[in-house]
Amino acid sequence: MIIIKDLRKEFGDLKVLNGISYHIKKGDKIVIVGPSGSGKSTFLRCLNLLETPTSGRISFEGEIITDPKADLNRIRRHMGMVFQNFNLFNNLNILDNITLAPVKLKIKSREEAEEDAFRLLERIGLKDKASAYPYSLSGGQKQRIAIVRSLAMNPKLMLFDEPTSALDPEMVGEVLEVMRELANDGMTMVVVTHEMGFAREVGTKVLFMDEGVIVEENTPEEFFAHPKSPRLQDFLSKVL
Amino acid sequence: MADFADKFQRAFLEGDRWKLYFKGLGLTLEVALFAAILGLVIGTVAALLRLGKTNDGKNTVGSFIAGVYIDVIRGTPSVVQLLIMWFIIMKNSTNGVLVASLSFGINSGAYVAEIIRAGILAVDKGQTEAGRSLGLSKAQTFLYIVFPQAVKNVLPPIGNEFIVLVKETAIVGYVSLSDLTRVANQVASRTYEAFFPLVGAAVIYFVIIKLMTIGLGILERRLRKSDHH
Repeated sequence: MIIIKDLRKEFGDLKVLNGISYHIKKGDKIVIVGPSGSGKSTFLRCLNLLETPTSGRISFEGEIITDPKADLNRIRRHMGMVFQNFNLFNNLNILDNITLAPVKLKIKSREEAEEDAFRLLERIGLKDKASAYPYSLSGGQKQRIAIVRSLAMNPKLMLFDEPTSALDPEMVGEVLEVMRELANDGMTMVVVTHEMGFAREVGTKVLFMDEGVIVEENTPEEFFAHPKSPRLQDFLSKVL
Repeated sequence: MADFADKFQRAFLEGDRWKLYFKGLGLTLEVALFAAILGLVIGTVAALLRLGKTNDGKNTVGSFIAGVYIDVIRGTPSVVQLLIMWFIIMKNSTNGVLVASLSFGINSGAYVAEIIRAGILAVDKGQTEAGRSLGLSKAQTFLYIVFPQAVKNVLPPIGNEFIVLVKETAIVGYVSLSDLTRVANQVASRTYEAFFPLVGAAVIYFVIIKLMTIGLGILERRLRKSDHH
Protein backbone atom coordinates (compact mmCIF):
# COMPACT_ATOMS: atom_id res chain seq x y z
CA MET A 1 0.00 0.00 0.00
CA ILE A 2 2.79 2.40 0.95
CA ILE A 3 6.36 1.98 -0.17
CA ILE A 4 8.92 4.25 1.45
CA LYS A 5 12.37 4.50 -0.04
CA ASP A 6 15.38 6.14 1.57
CA LEU A 7 13.30 8.82 3.29
CA ARG A 8 15.32 11.69 4.74
CA LYS A 9 14.22 14.81 6.57
CA GLU A 10 16.35 17.66 7.80
CA PHE A 11 15.30 20.76 9.71
CA GLY A 12 18.17 23.11 8.93
CA ASP A 13 21.25 21.38 10.32
CA LEU A 14 19.22 18.90 12.31
CA LYS A 15 18.97 15.52 10.60
CA VAL A 16 15.77 13.93 11.86
CA LEU A 17 15.28 11.06 9.43
CA ASN A 18 18.37 9.41 8.07
CA GLY A 19 17.20 7.08 5.35
CA ILE A 20 14.09 5.07 6.06
CA SER A 21 12.85 2.38 3.73
CA TYR A 22 9.77 0.35 4.54
CA HIS A 23 6.83 -1.36 2.95
CA ILE A 24 3.38 -1.06 4.54
CA LYS A 25 0.90 -3.62 3.27
CA LYS A 26 -2.87 -3.49 3.30
CA GLY A 27 -4.22 -4.61 6.66
CA ASP A 28 -0.91 -4.06 8.47
CA LYS A 29 -0.96 -2.60 11.94
CA ILE A 30 2.46 -1.05 12.23
CA VAL A 31 3.36 0.18 15.70
CA ILE A 32 6.35 2.52 15.95
CA VAL A 33 8.10 2.94 19.27
CA GLY A 34 11.29 4.67 20.27
CA PRO A 35 12.75 7.35 22.52
CA SER A 36 11.62 10.96 22.09
CA GLY A 37 13.53 12.73 19.38
CA SER A 38 14.02 9.50 17.47
CA GLY A 39 12.05 10.86 14.49
CA LYS A 40 9.01 8.60 14.77
CA SER A 41 6.47 11.44 14.68
CA THR A 42 8.29 13.13 11.82
CA PHE A 43 8.27 9.82 9.94
CA LEU A 44 4.52 9.51 10.42
CA ARG A 45 3.93 13.11 9.36
CA CYS A 46 5.95 12.51 6.19
CA LEU A 47 3.55 9.74 5.19
CA ASN A 48 0.72 12.21 4.54
CA LEU A 49 3.14 14.99 3.62
CA LEU A 50 2.36 17.22 6.59
CA GLU A 51 6.16 17.35 6.57
CA THR A 52 7.84 17.58 3.20
CA PRO A 53 10.70 15.08 3.05
CA THR A 54 14.11 16.48 2.18
CA SER A 55 14.74 13.51 -0.06
CA GLY A 56 13.49 10.01 -0.69
CA ARG A 57 10.39 8.61 -2.24
CA ILE A 58 6.99 7.58 -0.93
CA SER A 59 4.42 5.86 -3.08
CA PHE A 60 0.82 5.25 -2.05
CA GLU A 61 -1.08 2.65 -4.05
CA GLY A 62 1.36 3.05 -6.90
CA GLU A 63 1.28 6.85 -6.99
CA ILE A 64 4.46 8.75 -6.14
CA ILE A 65 3.15 11.18 -3.53
CA THR A 66 6.53 12.87 -2.95
CA ASP A 67 6.36 14.12 -6.54
CA PRO A 68 5.93 17.93 -6.36
CA LYS A 69 3.06 17.65 -8.83
CA ALA A 70 1.13 15.09 -6.78
CA ASP A 71 -2.36 16.20 -5.74
CA LEU A 72 -1.92 16.14 -1.98
CA ASN A 73 -5.48 17.15 -1.17
CA ARG A 74 -6.82 14.15 -3.01
CA ILE A 75 -4.25 11.75 -1.56
CA ARG A 76 -4.83 12.93 2.00
CA ARG A 77 -8.53 12.07 1.77
CA HIS A 78 -7.50 8.43 1.86
CA MET A 79 -5.21 8.78 4.87
CA GLY A 80 -6.82 9.63 8.17
CA MET A 81 -4.64 11.19 10.84
CA VAL A 82 -5.14 11.37 14.58
CA PHE A 83 -3.04 13.84 16.54
CA GLN A 84 -1.66 13.88 20.04
CA ASN A 85 -3.60 17.06 20.82
CA PHE A 86 -6.84 15.93 19.13
CA ASN A 87 -7.11 19.11 17.05
CA LEU A 88 -10.87 19.10 16.90
CA PHE A 89 -12.03 22.29 15.19
CA ASN A 90 -12.74 24.62 18.10
CA ASN A 91 -15.20 26.77 16.17
CA LEU A 92 -17.45 23.90 15.16
CA ASN A 93 -19.69 21.59 17.13
CA ILE A 94 -19.03 17.86 17.09
CA LEU A 95 -21.42 17.07 14.25
CA ASP A 96 -19.89 19.79 12.06
CA ASN A 97 -16.39 18.63 13.00
CA ILE A 98 -17.23 15.25 11.53
CA THR A 99 -19.22 16.39 8.49
CA LEU A 100 -17.14 19.41 7.40
CA ALA A 101 -14.61 17.63 5.20
CA PRO A 102 -16.93 15.04 3.57
CA VAL A 103 -19.49 17.74 2.74
CA LYS A 104 -17.09 20.47 1.58
CA LEU A 105 -15.13 18.00 -0.52
CA LYS A 106 -18.44 16.82 -2.00
CA ILE A 107 -17.86 13.22 -1.03
CA LYS A 108 -21.21 13.01 0.71
CA SER A 109 -24.38 15.07 0.75
CA ARG A 110 -25.11 16.85 4.02
CA GLU A 111 -27.85 14.33 4.87
CA GLU A 112 -25.62 11.36 4.16
CA ALA A 113 -22.73 12.90 6.09
CA GLU A 114 -24.92 13.58 9.12
CA GLU A 115 -26.40 10.11 9.02
CA ASP A 116 -22.90 8.62 8.92
CA ALA A 117 -21.73 10.96 11.66
CA PHE A 118 -24.54 9.89 13.98
CA ARG A 119 -23.81 6.24 13.28
CA LEU A 120 -20.12 6.76 14.05
CA LEU A 121 -20.93 8.72 17.21
CA GLU A 122 -23.27 5.97 18.32
CA ARG A 123 -20.51 3.45 17.86
CA ILE A 124 -18.30 5.32 20.31
CA GLY A 125 -21.23 6.10 22.63
CA LEU A 126 -21.16 9.86 22.12
CA LYS A 127 -24.30 10.44 20.07
CA ASP A 128 -25.62 12.83 22.70
CA LYS A 129 -22.60 15.11 22.16
CA ALA A 130 -23.40 15.91 18.52
CA SER A 131 -24.26 19.53 19.19
CA ALA A 132 -21.64 20.09 21.90
CA TYR A 133 -18.49 22.11 21.28
CA PRO A 134 -15.04 20.59 21.77
CA TYR A 135 -14.20 22.66 24.87
CA SER A 136 -16.92 20.90 26.85
CA LEU A 137 -15.52 17.40 26.27
CA SER A 138 -12.90 15.38 28.10
CA GLY A 139 -9.64 14.49 26.38
CA GLY A 140 -10.73 10.90 25.87
CA GLN A 141 -14.00 11.99 24.28
CA LYS A 142 -12.19 14.47 22.05
CA GLN A 143 -9.76 11.85 20.83
CA ARG A 144 -12.48 9.30 20.11
CA ILE A 145 -14.32 11.96 18.11
CA ALA A 146 -11.10 12.88 16.30
CA ILE A 147 -10.83 9.22 15.28
CA VAL A 148 -14.36 9.04 13.90
CA ARG A 149 -13.88 12.40 12.19
CA SER A 150 -11.12 10.76 10.18
CA LEU A 151 -13.23 7.65 9.63
CA ALA A 152 -16.02 9.76 8.15
CA MET A 153 -13.77 10.21 5.11
CA ASN A 154 -13.65 6.42 4.65
CA PRO A 155 -9.84 6.39 4.61
CA LYS A 156 -7.82 3.45 3.38
CA LEU A 157 -5.32 3.86 6.15
CA MET A 158 -5.10 5.61 9.51
CA LEU A 159 -2.08 7.35 11.02
CA PHE A 160 -1.95 7.81 14.78
CA ASP A 161 0.56 10.25 16.23
CA GLU A 162 0.86 9.42 19.94
CA PRO A 163 -2.93 9.38 20.31
CA THR A 164 -2.94 8.74 24.05
CA SER A 165 0.06 10.79 25.18
CA ALA A 166 -1.92 13.90 26.11
CA LEU A 167 -4.62 11.99 27.98
CA ASP A 168 -5.22 11.53 31.65
CA PRO A 169 -4.39 7.91 32.52
CA GLU A 170 -7.99 6.90 33.13
CA MET A 171 -8.93 7.94 29.60
CA VAL A 172 -6.25 6.04 27.74
CA GLY A 173 -8.27 2.83 27.81
CA GLU A 174 -11.34 4.17 26.04
CA VAL A 175 -9.25 5.52 23.16
CA LEU A 176 -7.23 2.33 22.80
CA GLU A 177 -10.50 0.39 22.79
CA VAL A 178 -11.73 2.34 19.74
CA MET A 179 -8.39 1.75 18.03
CA ARG A 180 -8.54 -1.94 18.83
CA GLU A 181 -12.00 -2.22 17.25
CA LEU A 182 -10.73 -0.38 14.21
CA ALA A 183 -7.85 -2.84 13.92
CA ASN A 184 -10.26 -5.76 14.21
CA ASP A 185 -12.31 -4.29 11.37
CA GLY A 186 -9.23 -4.67 9.18
CA MET A 187 -8.10 -1.05 8.94
CA THR A 188 -4.51 -0.50 7.89
CA MET A 189 -2.90 1.44 10.72
CA VAL A 190 0.40 3.10 11.52
CA VAL A 191 0.62 4.00 15.18
CA VAL A 192 3.30 5.96 17.00
CA THR A 193 2.82 5.24 20.68
CA HIS A 194 4.33 4.57 24.06
CA GLU A 195 1.62 2.02 24.87
CA MET A 196 3.64 -1.21 24.80
CA GLY A 197 0.60 -3.28 25.73
CA PHE A 198 -1.23 -2.02 22.67
CA ALA A 199 1.82 -2.67 20.47
CA ARG A 200 2.03 -6.23 21.71
CA GLU A 201 -1.66 -6.94 21.39
CA VAL A 202 -2.68 -5.18 18.18
CA GLY A 203 0.50 -4.73 16.15
CA THR A 204 1.29 -6.99 13.22
CA LYS A 205 4.77 -5.47 13.19
CA VAL A 206 6.58 -3.35 15.73
CA LEU A 207 9.32 -0.95 14.64
CA PHE A 208 11.94 0.51 16.92
CA MET A 209 13.25 3.87 15.76
CA ASP A 210 16.25 5.70 17.09
CA GLU A 211 18.28 8.60 15.67
CA GLY A 212 16.22 8.77 12.51
CA VAL A 213 16.49 5.16 11.39
CA ILE A 214 14.55 1.95 11.92
CA VAL A 215 16.85 0.04 14.21
CA GLU A 216 14.78 -3.09 14.54
CA GLU A 217 11.59 -4.53 13.12
CA ASN A 218 9.82 -7.66 14.21
CA THR A 219 6.57 -9.35 15.12
CA PRO A 220 5.37 -8.19 18.54
CA GLU A 221 6.18 -11.56 20.14
CA GLU A 222 9.79 -11.58 18.97
CA PHE A 223 10.18 -7.84 19.40
CA PHE A 224 9.43 -7.91 23.10
CA ALA A 225 10.71 -11.40 23.94
CA HIS A 226 13.98 -11.36 22.01
CA PRO A 227 15.14 -7.84 21.21
CA LYS A 228 18.35 -8.12 19.20
CA SER A 229 20.02 -4.72 19.24
CA PRO A 230 21.50 -3.39 22.47
CA ARG A 231 19.69 -0.07 21.95
CA LEU A 232 16.30 -1.77 21.86
CA GLN A 233 17.20 -3.93 24.85
CA ASP A 234 18.15 -0.78 26.72
CA PHE A 235 14.94 0.98 25.63
CA LEU A 236 12.70 -1.91 26.63
CA SER A 237 14.41 -2.25 29.98
CA LYS A 238 13.44 1.37 30.68
CA VAL A 239 9.83 1.31 29.50
CA LEU A 240 8.63 -2.16 30.50
CA MET B 1 -24.43 80.83 39.49
CA ALA B 2 -26.28 83.12 37.16
CA ASP B 3 -22.98 83.54 35.36
CA PHE B 4 -22.68 79.80 34.98
CA ALA B 5 -26.17 79.45 33.51
CA ASP B 6 -25.46 82.34 31.21
CA LYS B 7 -22.31 80.69 29.88
CA PHE B 8 -24.20 77.43 29.35
CA GLN B 9 -26.91 79.28 27.52
CA ARG B 10 -24.38 80.94 25.23
CA ALA B 11 -22.46 77.73 24.57
CA PHE B 12 -25.42 75.56 23.61
CA LEU B 13 -28.72 77.40 23.31
CA GLU B 14 -28.10 80.85 21.84
CA GLY B 15 -28.83 80.80 18.11
CA ASP B 16 -29.59 77.08 18.38
CA ARG B 17 -25.85 76.31 18.70
CA TRP B 18 -26.57 72.80 19.94
CA LYS B 19 -27.48 71.95 16.36
CA LEU B 20 -23.89 72.77 15.35
CA TYR B 21 -22.51 70.21 17.77
CA PHE B 22 -24.77 67.55 16.36
CA LYS B 23 -23.85 68.45 12.81
CA GLY B 24 -20.21 68.23 13.85
CA LEU B 25 -20.83 64.89 15.50
CA GLY B 26 -22.54 63.72 12.33
CA LEU B 27 -19.46 64.54 10.30
CA THR B 28 -17.19 62.88 12.87
CA LEU B 29 -19.23 59.69 12.71
CA GLU B 30 -19.50 59.79 8.94
CA VAL B 31 -15.74 59.99 8.48
CA ALA B 32 -15.13 57.40 11.20
CA LEU B 33 -17.63 54.94 9.73
CA PHE B 34 -16.32 55.13 6.17
CA ALA B 35 -12.75 54.97 7.43
CA ALA B 36 -13.52 51.95 9.63
CA ILE B 37 -15.07 50.03 6.74
CA LEU B 38 -12.24 50.96 4.40
CA GLY B 39 -9.67 50.15 7.08
CA LEU B 40 -11.22 46.75 7.68
CA VAL B 41 -11.15 45.89 3.98
CA ILE B 42 -7.62 47.18 3.40
CA GLY B 43 -6.41 45.65 6.65
CA THR B 44 -7.81 42.21 5.84
CA VAL B 45 -6.29 42.22 2.37
CA ALA B 46 -2.96 43.52 3.67
CA ALA B 47 -2.87 40.90 6.46
CA LEU B 48 -3.53 38.06 4.01
CA LEU B 49 -0.90 39.39 1.61
CA ARG B 50 1.55 39.85 4.49
CA LEU B 51 1.13 36.20 5.50
CA GLY B 52 1.57 34.96 1.94
CA LYS B 53 4.29 32.39 1.51
CA THR B 54 5.50 30.65 -1.60
CA ASN B 55 5.58 26.85 -1.58
CA ASP B 56 9.21 26.81 -0.51
CA GLY B 57 8.50 29.09 2.43
CA LYS B 58 9.74 32.44 1.08
CA ASN B 59 7.84 35.71 1.34
CA THR B 60 5.79 36.63 -1.70
CA VAL B 61 5.94 39.95 -3.57
CA GLY B 62 2.50 40.74 -2.10
CA SER B 63 3.87 40.13 1.36
CA PHE B 64 6.72 42.55 0.70
CA ILE B 65 4.37 45.26 -0.62
CA ALA B 66 2.01 44.86 2.34
CA GLY B 67 5.00 45.09 4.65
CA VAL B 68 6.12 48.38 3.10
CA TYR B 69 2.59 49.79 3.32
CA ILE B 70 2.31 48.90 6.99
CA ASP B 71 5.76 50.34 7.73
CA VAL B 72 5.16 53.64 5.96
CA ILE B 73 1.71 54.23 7.45
CA ARG B 74 2.73 53.34 10.98
CA GLY B 75 5.92 55.34 10.68
CA THR B 76 4.27 58.68 9.88
CA PRO B 77 1.77 60.82 11.84
CA SER B 78 -1.83 60.62 10.71
CA VAL B 79 -2.06 64.44 10.59
CA VAL B 80 0.77 64.50 8.07
CA GLN B 81 -0.94 61.76 6.06
CA LEU B 82 -4.18 63.74 6.09
CA LEU B 83 -2.43 66.92 4.94
CA ILE B 84 -0.60 65.06 2.17
CA MET B 85 -3.90 63.57 1.01
CA TRP B 86 -5.66 66.95 1.07
CA PHE B 87 -2.96 69.24 -0.34
CA ILE B 88 -1.07 66.88 -2.66
CA ILE B 89 -2.68 63.61 -3.66
CA MET B 90 -6.28 64.81 -3.91
CA LYS B 91 -5.71 68.55 -4.18
CA ASN B 92 -8.41 68.89 -6.85
CA SER B 93 -11.09 67.29 -4.71
CA THR B 94 -13.50 69.55 -2.85
CA ASN B 95 -15.10 66.64 -1.01
CA GLY B 96 -13.44 66.91 2.38
CA VAL B 97 -15.34 63.99 3.85
CA LEU B 98 -14.12 61.74 1.05
CA VAL B 99 -10.52 62.84 1.44
CA ALA B 100 -10.59 62.45 5.21
CA SER B 101 -12.32 59.05 5.01
CA LEU B 102 -9.74 57.78 2.55
CA SER B 103 -6.86 59.11 4.59
CA PHE B 104 -8.11 57.63 7.87
CA GLY B 105 -9.14 54.39 6.17
CA ILE B 106 -5.69 53.90 4.69
CA ASN B 107 -4.16 54.77 8.04
CA SER B 108 -6.39 52.44 10.02
CA GLY B 109 -5.84 49.63 7.51
CA ALA B 110 -2.20 49.33 8.53
CA TYR B 111 -3.07 48.83 12.19
CA VAL B 112 -5.96 46.51 11.36
CA ALA B 113 -3.62 44.47 9.16
CA GLU B 114 -1.26 43.85 12.05
CA ILE B 115 -4.14 42.98 14.37
CA ILE B 116 -5.58 40.47 11.91
CA ARG B 117 -2.18 38.99 11.14
CA ALA B 118 -1.58 38.41 14.84
CA GLY B 119 -5.09 36.97 15.21
CA ILE B 120 -4.51 34.47 12.42
CA LEU B 121 -1.08 33.45 13.74
CA ALA B 122 -2.59 32.91 17.18
CA VAL B 123 -4.82 30.09 15.91
CA ASP B 124 -3.19 26.80 16.87
CA LYS B 125 -1.22 25.23 14.03
CA GLY B 126 -2.86 21.91 14.83
CA GLN B 127 -6.15 23.26 13.54
CA THR B 128 -4.62 23.78 10.11
CA GLU B 129 -2.89 20.41 10.18
CA ALA B 130 -6.12 18.64 11.06
CA GLY B 131 -7.93 20.39 8.21
CA ARG B 132 -5.21 19.61 5.70
CA SER B 133 -4.93 16.00 6.88
CA LEU B 134 -8.60 15.50 6.00
CA GLY B 135 -7.90 16.61 2.44
CA LEU B 136 -9.25 20.16 2.72
CA SER B 137 -7.30 22.64 0.62
CA LYS B 138 -5.31 25.51 2.09
CA ALA B 139 -8.11 27.94 1.19
CA GLN B 140 -10.90 25.73 2.59
CA THR B 141 -8.98 25.17 5.82
CA PHE B 142 -8.45 28.88 6.18
CA LEU B 143 -12.03 29.81 5.35
CA TYR B 144 -13.89 27.26 7.47
CA ILE B 145 -11.49 26.71 10.36
CA VAL B 146 -8.77 29.30 10.85
CA PHE B 147 -10.55 32.51 9.88
CA PRO B 148 -13.62 32.04 12.12
CA GLN B 149 -11.30 31.46 15.08
CA ALA B 150 -9.13 34.42 14.12
CA VAL B 151 -12.20 36.70 14.05
CA LYS B 152 -12.82 35.86 17.67
CA ASN B 153 -9.21 36.61 18.53
CA VAL B 154 -9.18 39.97 16.81
CA LEU B 155 -12.50 41.38 17.93
CA PRO B 156 -11.25 43.10 21.11
CA PRO B 157 -8.23 44.80 19.47
CA ILE B 158 -10.29 45.72 16.38
CA GLY B 159 -12.87 47.32 18.65
CA ASN B 160 -10.07 49.24 20.28
CA GLU B 161 -8.85 50.36 16.86
CA PHE B 162 -12.33 51.68 15.98
CA ILE B 163 -12.44 53.60 19.22
CA VAL B 164 -9.08 55.17 18.47
CA LEU B 165 -10.31 55.97 14.98
CA VAL B 166 -13.39 57.88 16.17
CA LYS B 167 -11.25 60.07 18.39
CA GLU B 168 -8.50 60.51 15.83
CA THR B 169 -10.94 62.13 13.41
CA ALA B 170 -10.69 65.16 15.71
CA ILE B 171 -7.79 66.31 13.53
CA VAL B 172 -9.94 66.83 10.40
CA GLY B 173 -10.14 70.49 11.39
CA TYR B 174 -6.69 70.72 9.77
CA VAL B 175 -8.39 70.38 6.38
CA SER B 176 -11.27 72.71 7.28
CA LEU B 177 -13.88 70.07 8.03
CA SER B 178 -16.34 71.03 10.76
CA ASP B 179 -16.33 67.98 12.96
CA LEU B 180 -17.36 67.94 16.60
CA THR B 181 -13.99 69.16 17.86
CA ARG B 182 -13.76 72.03 15.39
CA VAL B 183 -17.33 73.14 16.09
CA ALA B 184 -16.65 73.22 19.82
CA ASN B 185 -13.49 75.18 19.21
CA GLN B 186 -15.33 77.67 16.99
CA VAL B 187 -18.07 78.23 19.53
CA ALA B 188 -15.41 78.74 22.20
CA SER B 189 -13.67 81.43 20.22
CA ARG B 190 -16.91 83.14 19.29
CA THR B 191 -18.22 83.28 22.87
CA TYR B 192 -14.81 83.84 24.53
CA GLU B 193 -15.68 80.97 26.81
CA ALA B 194 -14.00 77.60 26.45
CA PHE B 195 -15.36 75.53 29.34
CA PHE B 196 -18.81 74.48 28.13
CA PRO B 197 -18.05 73.91 24.44
CA LEU B 198 -14.96 71.80 25.10
CA VAL B 199 -16.31 69.85 28.05
CA GLY B 200 -19.53 69.41 26.09
CA ALA B 201 -17.61 67.94 23.14
CA ALA B 202 -15.69 65.67 25.49
CA VAL B 203 -18.93 64.38 27.02
CA ILE B 204 -20.38 63.68 23.57
CA TYR B 205 -17.25 61.74 22.51
CA PHE B 206 -17.37 59.82 25.75
CA VAL B 207 -21.00 58.83 25.33
CA ILE B 208 -20.46 57.68 21.74
CA ILE B 209 -17.49 55.56 22.69
CA LYS B 210 -19.27 54.15 25.72
CA LEU B 211 -22.06 53.03 23.39
CA MET B 212 -19.51 51.46 21.03
CA THR B 213 -17.90 49.63 23.93
CA ILE B 214 -21.23 48.20 25.01
CA GLY B 215 -22.06 47.12 21.45
CA LEU B 216 -18.66 45.45 21.00
CA GLY B 217 -19.07 43.68 24.33
CA ILE B 218 -22.36 42.16 23.20
CA LEU B 219 -20.85 41.05 19.89
CA GLU B 220 -17.86 39.53 21.65
CA ARG B 221 -20.01 37.53 24.05
CA ARG B 222 -22.03 36.17 21.15
CA LEU B 223 -18.95 35.01 19.30
CA ARG B 224 -17.57 33.40 22.40
CA LYS B 225 -20.31 30.82 22.66
CA SER B 226 -17.97 28.09 21.39
CA ASP B 227 -15.16 29.15 23.70
CA HIS B 228 -14.08 27.98 27.10
CA HIS B 229 -13.81 31.40 28.70
